[in-house]
Amino acid sequence: MGPRPFRYERATSVAEAVERLRRGGPGAKVLAGGQSLVPMMNLRLVEPERVVDINDLPLAHLRREDGVLVLGALVRHHTLEESEDVRALCPLLSEAAAWVGNARVRSLGTLGGSLAHADPAAELPMASLALDAELVLEGPEGRRTVQAPEFFRGSLATALEPAELVTEVRVPVREPGEGWAVEEFALRYGDFALVAAAARVRLDRDGRVAHARVALAGVGATPVRARGAEDRLTGELPDPDRVEGAARAAAEGVEPESDPHASAGYRRHLTYVLTRRALERALNRAREGGLL
Amino acid sequence: MRERTRVSISFELNGTHRHLEVDAHRTLLSVLRDQLGTLDVKEGCDEGVCGTCTVLLDGRPVSSCLVLAARLDGARVTTMAGLSADGRPHPLQEAFVRHGAVQCGFCTPGMVLTAYAYLRQHPAATREELRRALAGNLCRCTGYAKILDAVEAYAREVSLGR
Amino acid sequence: MGARELAERTGWRVVGKPIPRHDAWDKVLARTAYAADWEMPGMLVGKVLRSPYPSARILRLDTTRARSLPGVAAVLTARDVPRNTLWTDVPGQTTEVGPLRAKLHVLAEDRVRYQGEPVALVAAESEETAEEALRAIEVDYEPLPGVFDPLDALAPDAPLVHPDSGSNLLARWNVQTGDVASGFARAEVVVEGTYRTQFVDHAYLEPEAGVAWVDADGVLTIRVATQVIEHFRDVAEVLGLPHNKVRVIGTYLGGGFGGKEDVTVEVFLGLLAWSTRRPVKMVWSRQESLLARSKRHPFVMRYRTGALRTGELVAQEVELVADAGAYAFLSALVLLYATTVACGPYRVPNVSVQARTVYTNNPPTSAMRGFGAMQVVFAYEQQMDRLARALGMDPVELRVRNALRKGDRLPIGQVLETHVAIPEVARRAWETLGPPQPPSAPHLRVGRGLACNLQPYGRIVWLHDWASAWVGFEMDGSVVVRTGVPDVGAGQASSLCQIAAEVLGVPVDRVTIHVSDSALTPLAGTTTATRQLMMSGNAVLRAASELRDQVLRVAAQLLETPAADLQVEDGQVRAPDGRTVPMVRVLRECARAGVPRSAFATYHAPAGDPIDLERGGGRVFPDFTYGAHAAEVEVDTETGAVRVRRYVACHDVGQAINPQSVEGQIQGGAVMGLGYALLEKVALDRGNNLTTTFATYLIPTSMEAPDVVPVVLESGEGMGPFGARGIGEPPVGPPAAAVANAIYDAVGVRVTELPVWPETVARAIHGLEGSPKTQGEGGHHA
Repeated sequence: MGPRPFRYERATSVAEAVERLRRGGPGAKVLAGGQSLVPMMNLRLVEPERVVDINDLPLAHLRREDGVLVLGALVRHHTLEESEDVRALCPLLSEAAAWVGNARVRSLGTLGGSLAHADPAAELPMASLALDAELVLEGPEGRRTVQAPEFFRGSLATALEPAELVTEVRVPVREPGEGWAVEEFALRYGDFALVAAAARVRLDRDGRVAHARVALAGVGATPVRARGAEDRLTGELPDPDRVEGAARAAAEGVEPESDPHASAGYRRHLTYVLTRRALERALNRAREGGLL
Repeated sequence: MRERTRVSISFELNGTHRHLEVDAHRTLLSVLRDQLGTLDVKEGCDEGVCGTCTVLLDGRPVSSCLVLAARLDGARVTTMAGLSADGRPHPLQEAFVRHGAVQCGFCTPGMVLTAYAYLRQHPAATREELRRALAGNLCRCTGYAKILDAVEAYAREVSLGR
Repeated sequence: MGARELAERTGWRVVGKPIPRHDAWDKVLARTAYAADWEMPGMLVGKVLRSPYPSARILRLDTTRARSLPGVAAVLTARDVPRNTLWTDVPGQTTEVGPLRAKLHVLAEDRVRYQGEPVALVAAESEETAEEALRAIEVDYEPLPGVFDPLDALAPDAPLVHPDSGSNLLARWNVQTGDVASGFARAEVVVEGTYRTQFVDHAYLEPEAGVAWVDADGVLTIRVATQVIEHFRDVAEVLGLPHNKVRVIGTYLGGGFGGKEDVTVEVFLGLLAWSTRRPVKMVWSRQESLLARSKRHPFVMRYRTGALRTGELVAQEVELVADAGAYAFLSALVLLYATTVACGPYRVPNVSVQARTVYTNNPPTSAMRGFGAMQVVFAYEQQMDRLARALGMDPVELRVRNALRKGDRLPIGQVLETHVAIPEVARRAWETLGPPQPPSAPHLRVGRGLACNLQPYGRIVWLHDWASAWVGFEMDGSVVVRTGVPDVGAGQASSLCQIAAEVLGVPVDRVTIHVSDSALTPLAGTTTATRQLMMSGNAVLRAASELRDQVLRVAAQLLETPAADLQVEDGQVRAPDGRTVPMVRVLRECARAGVPRSAFATYHAPAGDPIDLERGGGRVFPDFTYGAHAAEVEVDTETGAVRVRRYVACHDVGQAINPQSVEGQIQGGAVMGLGYALLEKVALDRGNNLTTTFATYLIPTSMEAPDVVPVVLESGEGMGPFGARGIGEPPVGPPAAAVANAIYDAVGVRVTELPVWPETVARAIHGLEGSPKTQGEGGHHA
């Protein structure tokens, strides 16, 4: 049937978008890829009076700045999945994007949109935690940078202030000796995860874990870092027992809810399984010089 | 009465230039079916899940139920009818018929367009890659096997330079 | 001459060939106009206002504001419906059978009994205005206590869903054969189980839709996606119109599966079009369909099965309880099907089946592919699997040993008059799995499971079912078929073209078929119950054969050769010595001589009168289709995920009219059954439907569907044309049991509740903490 009528505005610059959003107040919504907003409008879950279309903003850039990959918020999921640059420089982001929905969602959905929507079971918010991503936000008060863990506040809730937009995402370029993996479990291919895990580990020359990041989706109101798992690994040789212990720590560290699709106990169990699998694959990749 | 905005859009539909005035909140699906009578695009769920509303937008498959008409300006839209020329079926459509991949036919336009777009990017796709590529298009009649048979057969013919 | 002999003579030119269907070309060329693909000048948009409560009294219903909105043409409530209460017979039948009649309200009166129950209708100039009108209707509800579990509903103090019926028990069927007590006394091994199945939705890709208008002759015409064009009678009754003033045109469906068998939009469209005297279109949203459309009956099935050490079955004690939801619809009939085949395709001398179907404030349950006969497969085939294991016996061998044979009786007393292919299908399915393959990783386990079934085809004989068809030659030798068959997308219409083409000696694309118009095509009954191939197929076969005979009698004179010796092919009638006369010449001679160039025929299915099941006295169905599926699964012992790695589905279809269509039905039905086994669930929380989107109601995608290997056997003994049996429903029965048996084989976990989600398996393997989230009944592993 399509959405209920609204006033449509199109912005061509960030400043203009911000101003239009400010004037629109709480009844205004941002339209980027539309893969979250439009279904919600179609189902009458949201009924904005005003929609500000930001697709013409110059935010589709992709560039390397030394050790950082800078992505405009409007970079589409299919670009993350298929771009040679993203696959080489930030393969974890590519792998996470490949899990997002189906081909149609990936045609139009955007990185910034997915982060701003902040579904606790979504892949890119989880990946942003595993990547220590920095989000650049722009709003009426100007520009600011927020680290990923501070950005996600609750289910579908973020640190975005009224009329504020995500404009850019900055993630570290993969280093030598760094491995990555994304493991997702859903009832059906293409669905939101019941539980997902993203792991990023870097080994030093002695084969010890120099740096570990484990992030989880589907186990809380926001994506979460499995710091217990990271602490178990950092500075240690990642033999199977240690990896097992880290996965168990990840499971112990979450407080998932039960819902019609999965109980809390099962989500906790999946946390253990997926964390272990993600770590195993990430470590294999790290050992192979990240060439897997 | 809720506020609405009229927009002017100029786009190409199956090779033909169209110019329309539409309410910006209308979806591409609604414009195609209700305003332009392009009925080979179906409405199945309005959530972007089932795939029956699939069209190619600048060559990429999208859920037309999730695209606002206002985004169409300057775009190139292809529907199932755009693959056949002068009422003659496209070889991929022919493959669907020959392999029994069409039962009720409601998923067929979306399936054909998605397969077509994917094969253009990945001409050497294996059956399992095709299966994954079509995972966003639901079918309730065929069990998918004959759909994959048809797409595989077409891909083979294309690679043989038929 | 019989059909098969005729085909032998004609050389099986068309029947038995995998010919592309005419409607398939139409569909890829975007020519097919589905029900929603229809516009008429001045057309209004119709919508339904539905109850948000599963059980409530309507205190106040005020449509004043809605009616006053500009662009609103009509707002109707129960008061505006001439006959708001329908007594519906089994759809499309003309013979009544008492216990199968069901009461239905078109629009709610003072009570609503399920979430989504229709309360009011609007027709407006645009969708947007119709939506505004719905919002403007003021309804005050007083929520009432409800019941949401059949066993709770049978408790003495349970709230009554229908107070005037005195009890929530809608119907019961009992079968008692032999003496189960002595049967169990003889038994050397006894296995027991309680099995639970869930509410599922048809989830056809095409939502319910139609357009209605009053035509130039004052006939209310409804063009609608339906499996039953005979609903014109229901519309006429509701409106108080003569039946001959209502016409239903059935469109090519985007899937039916039983969900378009009861009335959906027809009566609403009729009311709105009649009231406004303008065309009205109504298309339900997916969410509306998932919310309010009737569902498949959940069953709780308690089985106790006794056998000798040889494997021979001696006793079956079965208790079935089904959830009929808020309105009866076809619940009594679904229960009858389940009762009739509750023991499966096996000889059992001592049987007790006690079956009840019970009203609740859950969504109404009605027809869905398999219709009661499929739910019980999950139970009876797991019982067989338990037995095989208890006896250390090969699963195929146990089935073969107990398989019914032609001439045996079912527990209800029906004698099986055609070949029972259970031994062949079981063996073929099992061996087609091929050599066992190891798991693809250490944490995976592989297992195999077998499940056999029987599914009736054709309606119950008590309905005295019939179907008619008209077949004619045009003067140029092209052929027209007219028959009121709804085409649900499974090739109903195209099979009839093949039959006519075979008999009349023309290429199949020389046949044009007009279907599914209650005013213009002879009625052929419903496209349900896997009946259409038998019914309209035989009617077309008969009409075409009579036409052939008529025409050849004339050709015989022209060629001075006995008619029995003539062949028809490629537009020529040929004598044994090679002389020919063009068919067009024969047809001109027919016209001159006053010999009709058309024939009309009616096929009557075997008919019988209702029997007392308890006295074990006789026939319920015309015949059955027998099948066996074999599944190989790979279970992830860590996550509990079940992947169907290999799947074989074998059915005896009697004679495949179009082998490609038959394979397609088998593959599609098997995947629908796998969705039932592993994914699908309508989640209800005290009557509140939690799965009203395609994002939450999960049907299999291509990634969850294995490439089903269809194995088609042709015994030639079906009651359909050329010895065909029906194949629409049979493949949906075995998958849940085949997969459950395979899971047991893989990891020793017996799953007795559907759907089998990974959590169920993981819990059984790992003993996870906390309770599982199931549909309010807890997870039982008997």
